[in-house]
Amino acid sequence: MMRRMLPRLFVLLAVLMPVLAHAESIVVVANPAAGVDTLSRNDVINIFLGSFRQLPSGIAALPIDLPPGHPARAEFYRLLVGKNQAEINTYWARLIFSGKTRPPIQAERVEDALSMVQGSVGAITYLERSKVSGKLKIVFELAQ
Amino acid sequence: MTTVQPFWRRSILLRAAAQVIGIALVVGLGFVLLTAHLAERITQESVAQRLRELMTTVENTAQIACFTKDQSLALEVVNGLVKNSEVFGAAVVGGSDMLAERRRGGATPERSRLAQAGRISKPIASPFDSSQIVGEVVIDPDPEIIRLRVRESGGFVALVLGLQLLVVVAAVVAVVLLWIVRPIKRMSDKLHVMDARSIEPLAMPQGHENTEIGRLVADINQLGQRLVASRDEEHHLHLQREIGERKYRAIFENADSGIFVVDQHMVLESCNHAFYRQLGLLRLAERREEISLLGLPWRMPDLLAGLLDRCAVLNRSVSDDFEYVVDEKEVRWFSVTLTPVGDQLIQGQLTDISRHKLAELSAQQEAITDSLTGLLNRNGFLQRIDEEIMACANDAASGFALLMVDLDGFRRVNESMGLASGDQILSITANRLRSCLKGSDLISRLGNDAFGIILRSTPGERAAANVAMRISVALKGFFEVGSTPLQLGASIGITLFPSDGADQETLLRNAEMALDHARVGGSGRYTFFDFTMARNAEHRRKLENDLRFAVRRNELMIHFQPIIDLSLRRMTGAEALVRWKHPEQGLISPDVFIPLAEDTGAIINIGLWIVETVCQQLAAWKRQGNDYYISINISARQIPDGLPPITLIETVNRYGVDPANLAIEITESVFMGNSEAAQTWLDAVHELGFRIYLDDFGTGYSSLSYIKRFPVDVLKVDKSFVRDMSEDNSDRALVGAIINMASSLGLTVVAEGVESAHQLELLEKAGCRCVQGYYFSRPVPADEIEAASRHAEQLL
Repeated sequence: MMRRMLPRLFVLLAVLMPVLAHAESIVVVANPAAGVDTLSRNDVINIFLGSFRQLPSGIAALPIDLPPGHPARAEFYRLLVGKNQAEINTYWARLIFSGKTRPPIQAERVEDALSMVQGSVGAITYLERSKVSGKLKIVFELAQ
Repeated sequence: MTTVQPFWRRSILLRAAAQVIGIALVVGLGFVLLTAHLAERITQESVAQRLRELMTTVENTAQIACFTKDQSLALEVVNGLVKNSEVFGAAVVGGSDMLAERRRGGATPERSRLAQAGRISKPIASPFDSSQIVGEVVIDPDPEIIRLRVRESGGFVALVLGLQLLVVVAAVVAVVLLWIVRPIKRMSDKLHVMDARSIEPLAMPQGHENTEIGRLVADINQLGQRLVASRDEEHHLHLQREIGERKYRAIFENADSGIFVVDQHMVLESCNHAFYRQLGLLRLAERREEISLLGLPWRMPDLLAGLLDRCAVLNRSVSDDFEYVVDEKEVRWFSVTLTPVGDQLIQGQLTDISRHKLAELSAQQEAITDSLTGLLNRNGFLQRIDEEIMACANDAASGFALLMVDLDGFRRVNESMGLASGDQILSITANRLRSCLKGSDLISRLGNDAFGIILRSTPGERAAANVAMRISVALKGFFEVGSTPLQLGASIGITLFPSDGADQETLLRNAEMALDHARVGGSGRYTFFDFTMARNAEHRRKLENDLRFAVRRNELMIHFQPIIDLSLRRMTGAEALVRWKHPEQGLISPDVFIPLAEDTGAIINIGLWIVETVCQQLAAWKRQGNDYYISINISARQIPDGLPPITLIETVNRYGVDPANLAIEITESVFMGNSEAAQTWLDAVHELGFRIYLDDFGTGYSSLSYIKRFPVDVLKVDKSFVRDMSEDNSDRALVGAIINMASSLGLTVVAEGVESAHQLELLEKAGCRCVQGYYFSRPVPADEIEAASRHAEQLL
């Protein structure tokens, strides 16, 4: 009986996860080699929304979005600029047309985003605080 | 004063229209300009508004362009804006960078400048943070377009307004002209040609019955009516005043009294016909020359001038009487009343009072004239004495003699022969007096039969005495009255001015005193006043006064003189004789004070007191066992009412005394007056048991008929007979005859005044029953009577 019950339990957990994660704060992480200790909210907005993509240390910033539909992505933008994903998409739609700036690189998976940050000095992304590993440096925290 | 003005200035109609149009144009122009200005503002505002709305439509895109500083996106925005016809140029600025800018082509520098002046900008916030400004959108409106719009809308508004104004002005002008100006003009035209003497009412303008103009027309019509009415009234009053003035003029002219007005210089201003007539100035009336009131022949113009002054000073009506000399023969009296009438004029009225004055004078004359004799009466005489005294004071005369003449026995004549005879005698007397005097002397009838005379021409004593003698002789003559000639005689008192007295009152009193003396002295005498008379009179007046209180002050006392009965050889009674012990003058003789008491009436009280005292004494003697009687003297004044018989008997009874012990002594004078009453009294007293003694027998009429008629019990022979008996045989015979006669009538005789043994002897021989006199005793107080009685018995 236990064996038949376990998959169902996992499904339930999976469903509940976002809910549980929601209560958790989102942190912006960067490569520890980037030479940045902390970023201001404006720095984060400029970098992720394409206004000014440069870290305070002078290194070009490379923002990376989590895959679409990831709960932390919606939570991040909601907490940062108070907009939902559709609004963010419309925003980028106008800019893409002019061609001067581009939206952040979209990771296929969370692990990809993390590995890209670990692998690139200017890369910068966000995730739930609980998922931060020691190879990443937290430079900004968006509290609930 | 009025200058000819151009027609348009005179017509209210045209002036009103011109003014209304002028004002409307000015105001309208102002309104149009204001409205155009407002329209321009509104248009500019609305363009700006539209442009701001346009900016809002591109705001989102501009936000992103500015946030990312995306020039191509900004250019897109600018292109979109410039497509609007009202936009001249647009730009998007991102921070400090000009992201995109575009302007219409073909712009003049002026147009660019104007466009920039109207620039509208809108700050652009970050799409993620509304508080963060990341850029700006700028739009320059196209001034040409705006001007076009403004012109369109402003012109339209001005056109509409102008048209409205034109219509309103035309309407107002028409209404004012038709509704107000035309009626007023009609009224004005009609009033202009209206005649004040025939005021016709104005027609009421149609439709104005209840408006102000209607009221104005009504008021004008009413005013016209009142004007006509008051003009008629004034005309009427004028007529009345004319009639009234004529009437008063007639009254003034026809008045019986003289009426005049004088100015402050006493010159006549006007006067009526009566004034001329009364003053006998008719000849002056025609000439109308100036007449001075004081220049007329008044007897005393000064008095009239004084009255005029008084009138002017007191400023009120004054009046007085004035004598006016018409000519040598005629004098008139006028009562003049002056009344100040203002303006320093005095109005006067003149009334002829000559008749009243004459009547007054004759009445005055009558008042001082005795109607019977035509002589001065008492009042007139008193006046004349005063006048004489005045004349002497003014040295016009040196003095005068005043005589008072009194007819002796006139009263008896009047009583016995009647008043008519008396009057006849008085008339004759007046005539005889006149014949004795000079024309300058004055005669007056002072009273009943008293005449007063002033001798002006003969003031001396001797001359007065001569006149008095003449009068005395003249009046001694017989008076032929009725059938019997009468002889009267007169007494005359004379006093002299100024030696005897200085005033009228004193002189009259002096004359009267002198007259009294003359009268006392006997008929047909004249006496000059001397000052002892005055002193005596004064003395007498004082005594009279004291006598009134003598009884009350206990100053009177009674002495008794014993009466001796010769047949019984002893004293049987006494005569009571009253004595007055005056506190200052000592004992006063009864001869002095009894007549006084009789004159003043004090005798009544004294008599009552005597009766009382005597009865008291009789009672005392009766208690001592002495049966004496007392005779008391009763005067004619006390009979019948001074001592009523009932009082006598009551007093006697009160003391328990026998009436027979109280004798009443009377004199013959009692019979002379009211003999009827005296008889009744004597009969009553006698009936009550009192004895009646007839005192002083032989000195008066001594009529035997009296003795027969009245109940006399005792005759007392007067002491004058007894005194002369010793020397005079005829007296001795007379006394003897009296005694004989008395005894034959059954009367007792008492001889008074026995002073010697010889007299006593003679009386005894003649058969006299009783005697009294100093030989036996003088009158003594009651407590000495016993001693006197004993002394008398020793002498017998």
